[in-house]
Amino acid sequence: MNRITNYIQKESNNVKLLLMLFLSLLVLTIATKGQFFSLNQMQLVAYLFPEMGVLALGMMLAMISGGIDLSVVAVADLTGILSCMLLKMIMPADASLATQIFVLLVILLCSLAMGAMCGIFTGSLIARIGIPAMVATLGASDIILGLAVGITNGSSVKELPPILNEVVNYRVFGVIPSTTLIFAACAGVIAFLLNKTALGFKIYMIGSNKDAFKYSGMDNKKILTMTYMVSGMLAAVSGLLMCGHFNSARSDFGKSYLTPSILICVLAGVNPNGGKGKMCGMVIAVIILQMLSSGFALFRNISDYYKNLIWGLVLILVMIVNVVSEKKKTAK
Amino acid sequence: MKIKELLKHNECYVAAIIIVLSFAIHITSGQFFTANNLVDLVRSLIVPGMMASGLFMVIASGNIDVSFPYTAMLCMFGVTKLFQMMHYEGPVIFGFLLAGLMGMLLGLINGILAAWLKLPTLIITLGTCTIYLGFTQGVLKSSVISVLPEPLADMAATNLFSVRSASTNLGSSMPVSIFLLIATLLLVGFIMKFTMLGRGIYAVGGDPVAAKRVGFHVSGIKIFVFTFCGFIGGITGLTQVSLSGMCQINFFDGYEMTIIAAVVLGGASIAGGSGSVTGTFLGVLLMKLISNNLILLGIPTNWSKLMTGVLIIVGVSTSAYKMTAAERKVTSNILICGDGKEAADE
Repeated sequence: MNRITNYIQKESNNVKLLLMLFLSLLVLTIATKGQFFSLNQMQLVAYLFPEMGVLALGMMLAMISGGIDLSVVAVADLTGILSCMLLKMIMPADASLATQIFVLLVILLCSLAMGAMCGIFTGSLIARIGIPAMVATLGASDIILGLAVGITNGSSVKELPPILNEVVNYRVFGVIPSTTLIFAACAGVIAFLLNKTALGFKIYMIGSNKDAFKYSGMDNKKILTMTYMVSGMLAAVSGLLMCGHFNSARSDFGKSYLTPSILICVLAGVNPNGGKGKMCGMVIAVIILQMLSSGFALFRNISDYYKNLIWGLVLILVMIVNVVSEKKKTAK
Repeated sequence: MKIKELLKHNECYVAAIIIVLSFAIHITSGQFFTANNLVDLVRSLIVPGMMASGLFMVIASGNIDVSFPYTAMLCMFGVTKLFQMMHYEGPVIFGFLLAGLMGMLLGLINGILAAWLKLPTLIITLGTCTIYLGFTQGVLKSSVISVLPEPLADMAATNLFSVRSASTNLGSSMPVSIFLLIATLLLVGFIMKFTMLGRGIYAVGGDPVAAKRVGFHVSGIKIFVFTFCGFIGGITGLTQVSLSGMCQINFFDGYEMTIIAAVVLGGASIAGGSGSVTGTFLGVLLMKLISNNLILLGIPTNWSKLMTGVLIIVGVSTSAYKMTAAERKVTSNILICGDGKEAADE
């Protein structure tokens, strides 16, 4: 018994999040008269949340390091467009399944490399030139998105080889969407990076106190650049997921994901001032958000525009709750 | 000596770039120094100029606000819809007052949240701006209002003077709202330069802890700058209506970026504590000069977003680089002083 209360106290944020998860599931199920609680709906949630979730993972890394990465959406769009163009170019017309999958893996590697390059670009602006993360990533996202709009003239890249769409829509054992597994893989890698490697430890340190980090003789330029590089690679994965989902690529696919991805991080207990944040909370927060989003879609009379209003309100409310509970904790 | 002093100011460089660029545009297209192009340029400066002067205060205090375009949008639709419902026919000035009040209220929300939560203001205003956007689209169900209420329509039709270029036969007219821009610039300039409040804003932006020790009310100043920015945002929303003769949801798309860029280009450090209203205005002028004349310079519009991005990064890089260089100088000075003292002790 003691151990359980101890655990609850230690992981109070995750317990809170789990409670929220069950509560929103319950409310949505009752409000839709059980329609929401079906295998179909759950599969839809599991199929959709990775796009937003992988983006949010990148945002989380940047936030833990004490910055923010507003360029994730732009990176996802640009790498999505470029890899779709590449996919169309190099895919042979009548390839066997094995070759198709091989080509797709090559594309994945290329888009990871492109995402890493975008990340190194923004990271260098922050670490080497010393521009505050917010302005640097905003400006970089204009440049990256500007490239995307310029290359495509604002239109979409269509008629892709079907393999990307097939892989993204594939259900493992006919039940689990492949996107969920991709998210699980990304989350696993990032959790390992944060908890088990020196780089992860340093990212937490740089977020807690930048000056102390610098004066302990660490290379903060390298760590910051690498943080944004990993964030860019995650954005590239999310870009491919979006392209697979819509079976095309466009420069404004990711636009609506920026606020939700920040919301997920704040909900998960990542401190916007840096130094704090755990993977477990992120996973639950992503699922909560996608559940709410899919749940709203079931109500015909709530227009899509209200979504913005609700996201904003939830973001502000969660921040208030976090700050108030933090204050209580320090008062104790 | 005086010229040397002058060269230290960022405004000088921006002004020099503006002059060189305008001659370059004139030489390549031959259409820059025509009466209608100049009037058009001034006309397009009104809304961004007002917004930038409001935002400049926020940035000088070391904060950031990305919600002001949405404040403007909400006030624009709110007031226009209200006038439509009431069949209002009185003087237009009450519309501006109402829009200003609404904007103040929205700004006050930002300010209180920022002062209370002490979280990055970018995230707070990103949250409130989605609320304002959702409110405008969802609750007010607004996207386009093409027939304006009479007072606003009257104002849209009133002009100070009109000009017509002989060579191209294109006409443009100078709107009355140019006075609003001038008044805003003068007001912000006065507050920042000649009042204790203005000094306080710079002080908080420079170093909040030091400002608190000196006796400035840090939270109060934070709330003031956001409220003021909201006030200007509200008025700007209605100004945009009177300029274009209609309301449209996408009037202020992407404004948060370009206005932040303009303020930073004008020499205000994004970390706070510096900048001037003259610089801000010159920054807006430069941004508009480029975006208005991209076509005259032969750059396709699809690439204009890339151009703004490059401009922002270049502008911010120079100021950030200057700051790190100055920091390095201070650190090395301390080291040298330390060495000197040790030498004296020996």
